[in-house]
Amino acid sequence: MPSTTKIPLQVAGYNVLPLSLPTLPSFPRPATHYLYFAPHNPKIPTPTASRSLFLVNVPFDTTEPHIKHLLSAQIGLPAGRIEDVQFANQRRKGGNGEEAKPKQDKKGKKRKRGRDETDVEDADGSALPSTWDRNLQYNGLTAVVLFVDRASMDAASKAAKALRKERIEPVWGDGIEDKVPALGSARYLNHHRLTYANKDQLLESVNNYMTSYAAKEASVARLATKQRQEADADGFITVTRGGRTNPAKQEAAQELAEKQKEKQKGLDDFYRYQSREKRKQRAGELVRKFEEDKERVRRMKEKRGRFRVGPHVLKRDDSYLLTQYAQPE
Amino acid sequence: MSPAQKKRKLSPPAAGDIHLGVPQSVPSGEFHEGEGDVADYSIKTRIRKPMRNDEEDRSRVLSAGAYSSNMFQLQVDELLVKVRPAKGRMVKAENALHKLKDIIEHIPNREPKPILQAEREQHNLHTIRIPFPHPRPAKEAKYTLAYSKPANINVVGSYARKTTIQIGDQLGIDLAVTMPSSIFQEKDYLNHRYFYKRAYYLACIATGIEEAEDCTFAVRFAYQNDNHLQPVIILDPGQGSDDFSKSGCQIRIILAADGAMFPLSKTLPHKNCVRVNLEESATAEKSTMPTPFYNASLRSECSSLAYLKYLHGASLQSEGFTDACVLGSVWLRQRGLRTGLAGGGFGSFEWACTMALLLHGGGPKGRPILSKAYNPHQLFKAMLQYLSMKDLVAGPVAISSDNMNIDGHGQPVLFDGARGLNVLFKMSPWSYAMLRHEATRTLKLLNDPLLDQFDASFITNVDNAPQRFDSVIDLPMSRPMELPPRTADAVDADMHFCGRAYQALKTGLGDRVLLIHLRPPGRTAWSSASPTHPSKVKPKIRVGLILDPGQINRSVDRGPSAEDKVAAAGFRQFWGEKAELRRFKDGSIQESLIWSATDARDSILKQIVTHVIRRHLGEEAANDLNLIGDSFNRLLDNNNSSNLIDPSILYQPVINAFEVLEKDIRQLQGLPLQIRQISAADSQLRYASANVPVVKPGQYQVEPANVYVQFEGSNRWPDDIAAVQRTKIAFLLKMGELLAEATTGLTTRLGLENNSQKLLNSAFLDVLYPEGAFFRLRIHHEREFNLLEKTLKEKSHTQTSREETAAALSAYKRNFIQASLHTQAIRTLSTRFPLLSPSIRLMKKWRDAHLLSHHITDGLIELLTVRVFVHPGPWSVPGSVMTGFLRTLKLISKWDWRSEPLIVDFNGEMGSKEIDGIHIRFEAWRKIDPAMNRVVMFAASNLDPDGITWTELGPSKVVAARFTSLAKAACEAIKEHGVGIEPEMLFTTSLFDYDFVVHLNTRFVGDNAGRQRKLKPVFKNFQVQAHEDKSLVGFNAVQSFVEELRMLYDSNVVFFYNEQGGSVVAGLWNPQTGLRPWKTNLQYSTVPVTAPDEENAQVTINKTAALHDIARLGGDMISRIEVKN
Repeated sequence: MPSTTKIPLQVAGYNVLPLSLPTLPSFPRPATHYLYFAPHNPKIPTPTASRSLFLVNVPFDTTEPHIKHLLSAQIGLPAGRIEDVQFANQRRKGGNGEEAKPKQDKKGKKRKRGRDETDVEDADGSALPSTWDRNLQYNGLTAVVLFVDRASMDAASKAAKALRKERIEPVWGDGIEDKVPALGSARYLNHHRLTYANKDQLLESVNNYMTSYAAKEASVARLATKQRQEADADGFITVTRGGRTNPAKQEAAQELAEKQKEKQKGLDDFYRYQSREKRKQRAGELVRKFEEDKERVRRMKEKRGRFRVGPHVLKRDDSYLLTQYAQPE
Repeated sequence: MSPAQKKRKLSPPAAGDIHLGVPQSVPSGEFHEGEGDVADYSIKTRIRKPMRNDEEDRSRVLSAGAYSSNMFQLQVDELLVKVRPAKGRMVKAENALHKLKDIIEHIPNREPKPILQAEREQHNLHTIRIPFPHPRPAKEAKYTLAYSKPANINVVGSYARKTTIQIGDQLGIDLAVTMPSSIFQEKDYLNHRYFYKRAYYLACIATGIEEAEDCTFAVRFAYQNDNHLQPVIILDPGQGSDDFSKSGCQIRIILAADGAMFPLSKTLPHKNCVRVNLEESATAEKSTMPTPFYNASLRSECSSLAYLKYLHGASLQSEGFTDACVLGSVWLRQRGLRTGLAGGGFGSFEWACTMALLLHGGGPKGRPILSKAYNPHQLFKAMLQYLSMKDLVAGPVAISSDNMNIDGHGQPVLFDGARGLNVLFKMSPWSYAMLRHEATRTLKLLNDPLLDQFDASFITNVDNAPQRFDSVIDLPMSRPMELPPRTADAVDADMHFCGRAYQALKTGLGDRVLLIHLRPPGRTAWSSASPTHPSKVKPKIRVGLILDPGQINRSVDRGPSAEDKVAAAGFRQFWGEKAELRRFKDGSIQESLIWSATDARDSILKQIVTHVIRRHLGEEAANDLNLIGDSFNRLLDNNNSSNLIDPSILYQPVINAFEVLEKDIRQLQGLPLQIRQISAADSQLRYASANVPVVKPGQYQVEPANVYVQFEGSNRWPDDIAAVQRTKIAFLLKMGELLAEATTGLTTRLGLENNSQKLLNSAFLDVLYPEGAFFRLRIHHEREFNLLEKTLKEKSHTQTSREETAAALSAYKRNFIQASLHTQAIRTLSTRFPLLSPSIRLMKKWRDAHLLSHHITDGLIELLTVRVFVHPGPWSVPGSVMTGFLRTLKLISKWDWRSEPLIVDFNGEMGSKEIDGIHIRFEAWRKIDPAMNRVVMFAASNLDPDGITWTELGPSKVVAARFTSLAKAACEAIKEHGVGIEPEMLFTTSLFDYDFVVHLNTRFVGDNAGRQRKLKPVFKNFQVQAHEDKSLVGFNAVQSFVEELRMLYDSNVVFFYNEQGGSVVAGLWNPQTGLRPWKTNLQYSTVPVTAPDEENAQVTINKTAALHDIARLGGDMISRIEVKN
């Protein structure tokens, strides 16, 4: 792997911050993680953008304490200057401050955009409890760090650059091991326990959800009724579902239409020319199939020839496995 | 071919004889005979060609009709072109033939001498010994041996008829030297006299070739057709101009005699030509025992030219004859049937003769069975039909002969009256049974629209013992026993031994086997300096058995009733001390045999075989016999201890538990809706899990068995998919409560899954029975399907939400619909095919051993194995774990998933319309996704015409290629080792090809039973421990770890792990993570690399950091990570 000296200071306008990873007994090789940062500059400007820092390629086990610890204890910013850390795959936190976005969502980032907003939101404790004690970030993902003011952000940025100049690589997560839930088997044991949530809590969340769902349904129905009864500005009344008579189902209508079509069809073999044409068509079909078969055989032949000459995809395996099968341990 | 030659060929043959006429008329004329055939052929093709392209195509199209048959014929045409040896290559061999003829014509004559003198002179003056047949000529014999110039020298056999095929091995060219009648006497057909003179003649030719100047050919002896009466010369390539090894052929010099020398009537099958000495056989009756084999051997010597003429005539009369011969040769070769005695005595020559004879007769009132107007394909099929339907043992057939009282004595007879030969004289009862079996199989497969009929008939090599036979026995031949005097016939000791073994096994195994096949050891060529074939140290017979799975494990055999004295005595005589007289429940008293079904070491089959062989072929053979097949059964059990594979016994506890669960749920009072259906959807509930689930009190089943509960319809369900999921939670909670109330000791717990994906099922209910059974219940709500489809049809969707909905829909179909249908189908088939379940289980173990657990789904493995059972192709339905397993491997190795779908018809209800539909779907997938990023393997069945249910989530292209190549390597190993294969070999995990290997801590490794204990804190207090135990049921840290890894690294790393408690997780980097421009949303950890200009700095994957991440995530579960360069 390339040594630090060859690592550029900047990549495409982003500053590079090398972080050395703590060595582990199972993998004692030294390793460096590269974090990229730049002032936040979103496409759609937000009021807080000017005091935010945009991080790219955050380590997979990043948590809010990690970032805070990195910027304050390790880079030297005074504590309390960070207001919030927003990860790309996390939904905006709800008003109740609950961690709403469990990590299992594979394409969380995309999915969030895709969700239609008419869903009953997981408000009022109707969300299902998370089954993980700590969310993981997807590799290479981004985060936005929101500082209390612009000055803090600049200071953090400057301090990070200075560290880089002095060739000091902060050790990732050094010193906060106790503050975040552990990884390894403990994580999965916790996951196993959390999977089986408390029954009462679950029941409550389901009830809450159903209540708000019912409320939403009712409001939609109310709206429809209203639309049905009131004319709009142009004097038209919108036709909506519901009302006194149920509208026909789409499937039923389609079925009827098909039946009608069937009825309108005449006899197929009434006239002589019809049966003649049919016969012709059948012969044509046979010829076509025959041609198809010929083509298939030709392709097969070609392929066989090619396969014989060309190297096999996993040739290496073949020969190796052969020798291995030949001499078992 | 020069124009002049062509012209000559075009002129019509002057007489019917010109093709086989006296060769001396034209210098080296006999070689032109061969070319004459070619010329005829080329004329034919030239006339045929224009028609073939147009008219014939059209006529075929309109006549054939059936869709698959067209394809078959086109492929056959292709094959016919391919298997013919390249003409250009044969030049060297033909030169050698010319030279040989020259040499043989100039060998000096030898005066007639008494046997002893001739032999002494030969041995003193030359190195070559005389290959006398057994028994050696008597010393006091009165007749003399001599050599004089041959009557003529001809190329005969399939090479001369241009029906020879070349696939892989050498093709044989037979040069027939016809001995002059002058050296024989009228009575020479008696008592081997002809064969002694012949052996001397052969030695003279061999001497002549070896001592000829300017000739470097090496000479060896061999037996023609393994028949010890007929030694022949094998010619090895010499140096320089004598080197014809490039032609890839073997030249044999065979001897022939004039057909008119001995009258036909003397060598009829029922005549005696070997007179046993009067002192040995007291009665005159014995000296007239028929000697059919000797007679036929003699007759075949005298008729080789006659047959060449006859077959040539047939090929002129019937246009398709030559091609049908080629097809037959290919078909026979792939089934290991050859002309030689060891190869069953039915090869391409016998095929051609049979076909020619049937073109002339064989039907009622001597009418021909085959029509001369048939095309090659029709001839081939009609031949198979004849072989399969007609039993030539029970009803011998004689063609153009008025001699009707021919009895084969257990051997098939197809007597050619005109040439006085039983064409099938070399066949044995077992090879004839085999031939008929194969013909029947092939006919059957030609009617299966789902098989690649062409591949199965001609391309697949069926003759690989472990794949072909359910059980294989290597039987050592005990010391050559003295032939009893009554077999004065020239059958040699080997064949005699085989016959006895066959009889013993056939009687002993009875209806447990469908077929017994024996293959005696072949006779290889030997040095001409030794008079006879050197006997091998310990020749072995290979016995192949096709078992009847329904009967094979029967532990009680009932013999004849005690009242039937004669039969009972026969029974006792055969079985010896094993026979017992027993009184059965129905009151009958019968001779019987009891076999131990619980013997851990030997299966019942082995017990019977050992007993029978010991009793009838001697202690020595019984001790050294080696039965292959059972060793595969032992692999199924983790402790390698038990032979028990019967699924109905092994899975009884879990199936019973499921029935209890079903009853318990149906009896619940207080559920708001009625239960409509409770369906099993788990490999443990369809006899197909790799390991048999252990259900016993105090130890919970390791993995839950999935069960789906469907309520009857109600319009009170919400109309929103997310709300449906929540409603299900409420239902499950209620059910859990009620279940726990109803049964004491039963525990339920509600678990959450997919908890960020609103469209997917979000909860399940675990039910733990105190008896140890562990089920996972989910609710199947059929409206989900409509809701998802409706959502999918809405136009206001973004691409991603559409994909998400589509994924949810396919997950719904897979989990709620297909899984239970599939489970039902496999359960039914498992009762129909008792060996399906163990075969599937072994396949799964094989998959797991090669770390493909996650990629190759259970469903796919099951479909592949089922296919081998419901569409057995050229084989019969597997009758042992070995055949089920090995044939599935063969299927995988041959499946070209890039261009063909896998189609399985569970219960034979698919028509060509359904099959076409599947093909169309497959083509559509390939069209929209030619790079195979989404669907790689396509496996459809009559339950699942969509074809992607079990392959949508994997394997990827890389893994699929590895799957195939692993199967290929295994098949190669089987081919190479044959029956000597150690099954364990195929299950050795190879870690060579992976980029890195994560070794797990031993605490987290182990078989399934170890899983629960893995993380259990060591409490001394039993109570606490028991409590802890329950909450940890179903917990598997490594599995969760690997799943999380897969999610984190998505497509950048492919992980391989054996889900049956493997000790390693192996990984491969995606090569597409190399250098590329920096951007913010790369899905992997990167390292920046200085580029020449700073603007376009590039990044590449940070492998060390990624490995580090894996180590951090795994934490205490990982012992070390090994990285390959």
